[in-house]
Amino acid sequence: MALIKRLYNWLDLRIGAKEIVEQELTGYLLPKNINEWYSLGSVLLVIFTLQVVTGLLLLVYYVPDAEKAFKSVTYIMNELPYGWLIRLCHAVGSNMMVAVLIMHMLSTLFMKSYKSPRELNWLTGFMLFTLVQGISLTGYLLPWSQLSFWATTVATNSAAAIPVVGPYLVEFLRGSKLVGPATLGRFFALHVGVIPAVIAGLIGAHLFCLKRTGISTPPFGANTETGTHWSPEHYRYESHPGGIPFFPNYALQDLTSISVYFAVFLAVVFFAPNLLFTPDAFVPANAFQTPAHIKPEWYFLANYQTLKIFPSELLGLSVQAAAMTFLALLPFIDRSPERNPFKRPLFLACFFGGFLLWVGLSVWGHYS
Amino acid sequence: MMMRIKFPRTLLATAAVLLGVGLFCGSARAEQPETVCIQCHGSLPDRLGAPVKLWRTSVHAENGISCNACHGGDPKDAADAMNRSRGFLGAPKEADIPAFCGRCHPGVLKDYLASAHGRALGKGGPTCVTCHTNHAVQRASLTIINEKTCSRCHSFERARVIRDAMQQTEGSIVSIDRRIKTYQSQGVDTERLGKSLFAVRNRFHSLFHEVSVTKVQGESAQINGELAKLDRDLKVIEETRAKRKVVGGIVVAGALILAILFHLLKKTYDEK
Repeated sequence: MALIKRLYNWLDLRIGAKEIVEQELTGYLLPKNINEWYSLGSVLLVIFTLQVVTGLLLLVYYVPDAEKAFKSVTYIMNELPYGWLIRLCHAVGSNMMVAVLIMHMLSTLFMKSYKSPRELNWLTGFMLFTLVQGISLTGYLLPWSQLSFWATTVATNSAAAIPVVGPYLVEFLRGSKLVGPATLGRFFALHVGVIPAVIAGLIGAHLFCLKRTGISTPPFGANTETGTHWSPEHYRYESHPGGIPFFPNYALQDLTSISVYFAVFLAVVFFAPNLLFTPDAFVPANAFQTPAHIKPEWYFLANYQTLKIFPSELLGLSVQAAAMTFLALLPFIDRSPERNPFKRPLFLACFFGGFLLWVGLSVWGHYS
Repeated sequence: MMMRIKFPRTLLATAAVLLGVGLFCGSARAEQPETVCIQCHGSLPDRLGAPVKLWRTSVHAENGISCNACHGGDPKDAADAMNRSRGFLGAPKEADIPAFCGRCHPGVLKDYLASAHGRALGKGGPTCVTCHTNHAVQRASLTIINEKTCSRCHSFERARVIRDAMQQTEGSIVSIDRRIKTYQSQGVDTERLGKSLFAVRNRFHSLFHEVSVTKVQGESAQINGELAKLDRDLKVIEETRAKRKVVGGIVVAGALILAILFHLLKKTYDEK
C-alpha cells in the first residue's frame, strides 16, 4: 500500500492526479435518486472492449478468403487452444451488445433522458445502435457458413426493392451480382476496420456530450423535479450538488451490473452457445444449396416480418424507414418539458405499445 | 405540448443514411437455384409430376443430387433440357439400371454384380430399383431387408439370418452417426470422424448384397472393432465438453458472487 501511495504522490506532483480524481471520480456527483439502469452505459463499454479484444485475437487466425474462411473458423473452434472460448465470446458478445443496447435505449426513452438539451446524446446513441446492427450484420458473413452466406443473400436482396437504384445498390453491397468472395472482402473491411473506428469515435462523442450536459436526473421519487427547465439561450451544465459521488458509490453499482452481465454472458457461452447458432452455421457455404429455413438474427426478426406483412417490399421498407426516422428524431418531435412517463399516459401507451409490437413481430417472424 | 418543428435538411439526410442498416436486414425472399426439370415437372400432374414429389423425400434431394445428375440434360435451359445433344439420357431400360446407378456407386455395382441378385440380372433377377425404389431413394439401411420386400421374389428365411447378424453393427452405425451429426451441428469438427464412419458404413453396406452368412458374421466383427474406435473418439469429445461445463459453472458462480459483494459494498457506502 505504501508503494502505491508513493507512486500516487509521484504522479500527483507531475500530472495533478489528485485533482483529476477529485474532479472526475470522488467529486463527480450524480443525482441522489440515480438508479441501476444508468449503469448499462458502462456495461456497454465493457462489452465493446471485450468485442475488440476477442476480435483482434480472432484476426490472428481468421483468413478472409472465401476458400479458407470456413476452415479457419473451424480451426479456431476445434484446434486452437481456447479458440472456442474466444470465438464464442465474440459471437455471443455481439448478440449481448445488441440486447444491452436495446435495454439502454429503452431506459433512456422511458426516463425521457433524450429531451433538451440532450438531443445530441440521443442522436449519437441512435447512430451507435444502427452501427452495432451494421457491425453484427457484416460479422455474420465472415464464418462463410451456409447460415451466414444465405442470411447475407437475403439481407442484401432487400435493397433491390428500392425503385431505380435498387439493383445497382444490391450489386454495390455485394461487389458482384451474387454474394461471393467480393462480398466477403467488403464485409470484412467494414467489420474490422471502418465500422469499429466509427463506433469508437461515436462512443467518444456520446461520452463527450454526457460530460458536457451532465447526468440527467431520473424523473421518479419523492420531491423530484420532473420537468426540464433548460432554456435554449445559454449553455448550462446540469450539476447535482449534494448528490452521490461517482467513486466509490456508483462505480460499485457499475461493477455490480458488469458482474451480473458477465454471469449471464458466460452462462450462455458455457451452457447454451447453440442458442444463437442453427446447424447451418457449421456447414460451409454452398451457393447451389439453399437451406430450408433462413431466418435473420433475432434483432432483425421484426424487420423481416414487417417486410412479409406488406404486399410489396417497398411499402414494408418505407414503413420501417418512417418508424426509424421518427425514433431518431424523437427529441425534436417530443418537446413537452414533462419527463415523468406516468404523467404522460399517451407516451406511456406508445412506449409499451411500440415495444409489444416489436416483440410480437419478432416472435411472429421467428415462427412464420 | 407539441411544438412546430424545423428540421435542418442535413439532419434528415443523416437520419436517412443511418436507417440503412436497420432496413435492409430481412427480406422474406431467398434466391433458390432450382433446376428447370423441377420447375416444369413439379407442376405437372400424375406420371410426369410424381417423380418430383418422390424425389423430394429422397436421400438424393437431401444431398442436392438433382434430376440431371442421373438423367443428364441441361438443368438450366428449359428448351433444351431434354435434348440428347445436351447429354440427356432419359430413363434406362431394366437391364441397364445397375450400370445407370453404378456411375455414381461403382463399389455397390461391383458388389451387386457379384451377388446372387446381380448374377440373375436380365433373367428375372432384381435391379437396384426393385429394393431401393427409383425416385424416393432412401439412405441404405437394414430396414430394406424385410419380409415384405424380399418375399416378393423368394423366401425370407436366409435373408432374416443375415439381417440379424448385421443388426448390432447397424445399430452402432446409426447411433455413432447421430452423435457425430449432433456434434457437427454444435460446431465440433467432425470431418475426420464423418469420413471414417462413411468408410466403415460403405464397407458394411457392401455386405448388404452378400448372401454368405459366415462372411457376413466375420466382416461384421471387424467393422464393430472400427466402430468401437470411433466410439472412443466421441467419448473424448463428450468428456472435454463436460469439463468445460464444470469450469463454466465455477466462472458463472464467481461472477454472481462478485455481483453480490459489489452490491453489499455499495450499500455500506450508501448508508454513510
